[in-house]
Amino acid sequence: MPARRPVVTPRFAMTRELMLVAVTLGLTVMVGLLNHDFIGAQNLRFMLLNSVVLSLVALGQTLVIAMRGIDLSVAPILGLAAMVCGLLAQTHGLSLAAALPLALSIGLVLGTINGLLVATMDIPPIVVTLGTYSLYSGLTFLYSDGTQVDAVPPTFAAFGNGHLLGIVPVPTPVVVLLVVLALCWYVLRHTGFGRAVLAVGNNASAAYAAGLPVTWVRIRVYALSGTLAAFAGLMFLCYTGSATVTAGTGDHIELQSIAVSLIGGTAIAGGRGNLIGTVLGSLFLSVVLTALVFLHVPPIWYSAGEGLMILAAVQAGIGRRRGARA
Amino acid sequence: MIQLSVPRDATAQAVFGARGIVKQFGPVDVLRGIDLELRPGRILTLMGENGAGKSTMFRILAGQLQPTAGELTLNGEPLRLSSPHAAHAHGIHLVPQEPMLLPELTVAETMFLGRLPMTGAIFRHVDWKDVRRRAQAVLRMLDLDIDIDRCAKTLSIAQLQLVECAKALLHDCRIILFDEPTSPLTSHEVENLFTIMRRLAADGCTLSFISHRTEEVLEISDDVAVLRDGRLVDSAERGSFDRARLLSTMVGRTLRDIPRRETSYVTEETVLEVEDLASEPSFRRIGFQLRRGEILGLAGLVGAGRTEIAETIFGVRRPTAGRVRLAGEWVTGKPCHDLIRKGLVYVPEDRARHGAVLAMTIAQNVTSGLLERVRQSAGLLSGADETRLGATAVRDFRVRCAGLDQPLRELSGGNQQKVVFSKWIATGPKVAILDEPTRGVDVGSKEEIYELIEAMARDGMAVLVISSETEELVRLCDRVLSLYEGELVAELTGERITAAAVSASYLGSANVENAT
Amino acid sequence: MSAWERSLLILLVIVTTGFGLEVPGFFDDISGFLSMTSNFLPFGIVALGLSLVIFTGGIDLSVGATASLAAVIAAQLWATMGLNIWVASLIGLAVGGVLGGINAAVIVFLRVEPLIATLATSFIYTSAAVAVAGDAPPSGFPDAFNSLGSGALGLGHFQLPYQLLLFLPLAVLFWLLVGRSAFGRKLVTVGYNSEAARYSGIRVPRVLAAAYVISGMMAALAGLVLSAYYSAARADMGDVLLLTTIAMVVLGGVSIFGGEGSMGGVIVAVLLLGLLRQGMLIAGFSDMVTSMLTGAILISSIAVRNLFSSRAGGFGRRLLAFVRRPAVAGTDITRHDAP
Repeated sequence: MPARRPVVTPRFAMTRELMLVAVTLGLTVMVGLLNHDFIGAQNLRFMLLNSVVLSLVALGQTLVIAMRGIDLSVAPILGLAAMVCGLLAQTHGLSLAAALPLALSIGLVLGTINGLLVATMDIPPIVVTLGTYSLYSGLTFLYSDGTQVDAVPPTFAAFGNGHLLGIVPVPTPVVVLLVVLALCWYVLRHTGFGRAVLAVGNNASAAYAAGLPVTWVRIRVYALSGTLAAFAGLMFLCYTGSATVTAGTGDHIELQSIAVSLIGGTAIAGGRGNLIGTVLGSLFLSVVLTALVFLHVPPIWYSAGEGLMILAAVQAGIGRRRGARA
Repeated sequence: MIQLSVPRDATAQAVFGARGIVKQFGPVDVLRGIDLELRPGRILTLMGENGAGKSTMFRILAGQLQPTAGELTLNGEPLRLSSPHAAHAHGIHLVPQEPMLLPELTVAETMFLGRLPMTGAIFRHVDWKDVRRRAQAVLRMLDLDIDIDRCAKTLSIAQLQLVECAKALLHDCRIILFDEPTSPLTSHEVENLFTIMRRLAADGCTLSFISHRTEEVLEISDDVAVLRDGRLVDSAERGSFDRARLLSTMVGRTLRDIPRRETSYVTEETVLEVEDLASEPSFRRIGFQLRRGEILGLAGLVGAGRTEIAETIFGVRRPTAGRVRLAGEWVTGKPCHDLIRKGLVYVPEDRARHGAVLAMTIAQNVTSGLLERVRQSAGLLSGADETRLGATAVRDFRVRCAGLDQPLRELSGGNQQKVVFSKWIATGPKVAILDEPTRGVDVGSKEEIYELIEAMARDGMAVLVISSETEELVRLCDRVLSLYEGELVAELTGERITAAAVSASYLGSANVENAT
Repeated sequence: MSAWERSLLILLVIVTTGFGLEVPGFFDDISGFLSMTSNFLPFGIVALGLSLVIFTGGIDLSVGATASLAAVIAAQLWATMGLNIWVASLIGLAVGGVLGGINAAVIVFLRVEPLIATLATSFIYTSAAVAVAGDAPPSGFPDAFNSLGSGALGLGHFQLPYQLLLFLPLAVLFWLLVGRSAFGRKLVTVGYNSEAARYSGIRVPRVLAAAYVISGMMAALAGLVLSAYYSAARADMGDVLLLTTIAMVVLGGVSIFGGEGSMGGVIVAVLLLGLLRQGMLIAGFSDMVTSMLTGAILISSIAVRNLFSSRAGGFGRRLLAFVRRPAVAGTDITRHDAP
């Protein structure tokens, strides 16, 4: 009989999530001891809220990476959605109820274009999303025509900063994020589409041979990524109450979403996706960056901190050099 | 008794067959009118040399390819399989040569790829309970001790194949085709597979399997069909075929007396010494010497550890013990670029992955072994010199090609192999390790390669030939070492090298004295 | 010359003559025309180095940050330590090499994917650049230095920009390096199949290290040229470099997966995209629109290439597959033949 090997659970890396939670909590406590404000209610709330926008974008990115792709265009999609909704609200009184489907549609369309180019024209995802990055950024620029969003209606602001129903002590964006996370998790784990995404990420030709509609799956994942990025744009608008031409692209949220996915345990080679890890990773990042502020570390080092964290996360087991890249 | 959830009586008792199958790929005739019959409860082995058309036939049987002419039959009635899924619907499953790898998915999910059972009225979702139950059940049926929650990447090739087997049963397939399953398996694993195949046959399944290993065929087959050049040249039932008959029909001539080389070029000078070499868990306690002009053969089953030994000597794999000496110099564990410069070259088994860059031109591949040989001016490679070296190689090795600028992938397997040979031989090595030198090579080129190897020995090179083809070893070698599960078990020299003796020695059975 | 390079060259001629005829100010005289190149040649310099990395099948996302950091270090050495500007520049070049070496070390020794490794180092180098630049980024370099970026050599009637004088020999050097030298051959072999390269005796780690070090040095050089051009060194100077240079390399015919392509194509692509951008700016289009056009050209060029490649018909089939799709993970068994 072949030698037995240790059993590996498919519930990928429960340990990674626990590790992230432990490190985040540990860090919070440590910095809290040095500066009590750090663990004050206001700051805790801030760190949580601060991570929501990135988490939303990163959830979509995680799915794309799990399918062995990459989506650099999430940054301008976020920016465009924020700008369009913001300007329409600012000048034409667009309601939140209308802004939501608008933002989602923008993301859906732009994401689908990405998907079509990747899946039907066989262009490498990195090239496609690099190209659409500049295309979509340009759209934002053209649409805004030199203006920007400085104020949002109260409903928007409440959505981005308020508490759910005014009574539950959890900020609305966090609740929204949890709902989106739950939905994405369900889709990935329990729907045929989600399993197909993983199958394609593992071995696209095997998936094709088994009858899975690889092309269609690819298009849908990029469409989903775009939709989530646009939704994040709306959230960004509501949370910050503003939108400029460089919303999203200025912070390189596309690179951050990749970083956070990797920290959360999703492998760049595809085949598996850790959505909870991504959200935890985003939270972890938020805590670290805030801690740097509280510890009076000059802002210039924040970026370096992110870079080192990516390397550390990768050293902890994922991201090792494999075959084909995105 | 294997109980399947949906009894397929119609197909279960049926005779699955093919009538007059012709298959052409463009101008190339691969199959020229094949008639086959697969009966339930019996194992039919399809035999033939490389390129005889066996895999193509199976793919047609499994609905992956459409025949150019002819038809498939079920109980004599025409059967049209428009796709692999149609084949599955009729209970036909093909276990491919290379199991499809989905490393991050679990065993259970791999078995249900593309056909996960769904449930739920409003929100359709995967019925994991059903998946687990059925996966567990079918594995138990086959007595397979594999945890369904394991990620596929933790399984060995043998286990993946068995999972494929289970997958066939899972989908109620009673006609199972195995495409050269035993190539990557150790002898233990082959036995395992055969046990399961026998049980399946005993329960009424129809099995067919491809192999070119006569020993295996003799062991497992109820029926044998031999293909040669796209035609069915022989078919027989158990009891009426033996090794000699199989070999001769496969190759087209009697091989009772395989011609050994007349002259031996062995000198006294030892050029390679291997002492107590080990690389756990693949092999251990390997020691031998190689002299100039000698052709030493290394025989054994796949998985015995032969390629691993070559890779360790060549510096691609780490030794866990022992040492290697090349022309008096200790070279244990030195990296391969060092060894190449010192005069030890390795022509790897997997040409496409390790031997050559198929996308580059012939000339570029020829010079890739030792770029320093190409004349350079001011650091730039001389195109003219490269062309000259390429042309010399093509001429000396009789490579059939359209031009030196042709990408290597456009050449036939045999000509590709000759280019790879030329790349290394032109560096004038002291020792050449050849791993399966005629794999995937057409019969005509095989002869040429044998002559090449002989010429290498004549020119004073020491050659180590690793081969799974006994006839090849008998033909070429002065000495043959046999490896079994990582250890040397026999050494044959001179007259004692016969096909039977060699085969017996590495099957781990009867000792050499008794085998003739 | 391959078909791809020929197409690019034809496009270049079309674009140049088109703009020359239609857009006033584009081609008033040779000197003016040549001086335009100073606007985009820094991208070209980066593209030369980046090509080497992409040939090996890797990528270097840190080129922008490297350019900024190296330039800022050189500028500070001059500003606060009084070093001669040229000596400081040489040190800046060396710094670029070191930064590339760090990339190589992370990729080879820590065995991290190039995408991730250079992503991480780009964050780190950016931070360092901001730190070194400090509150008052150095500026006001000596004229001799500035002329490197914006000056020109007077040759009789016309002016040859120093940037061009720098770029052209480099372009030729890289072209020879990739196409005709042993190193170039090894580079491409590694990109095609690093395992086969290893079995052929190529020292893969060395080749990779060389590629990343050279890429870092070229990025540093571009940073220095940019700081000469602006007569100032800012930490965000290099931000703009990354996306455009990747576009130049890919448009030039180098496969993003490595192994395929030629330097000649990249050089033509640099000129093509650069002149295209300049022409549009002169014609009055905004920066953004030219970026959009670059993006569109990038995508469509690869798409067109795929359509005409050996997989022609693949597009048609895929579209058909999309239209005829069965339900996901369903029980549809009437799927067409596997390819």
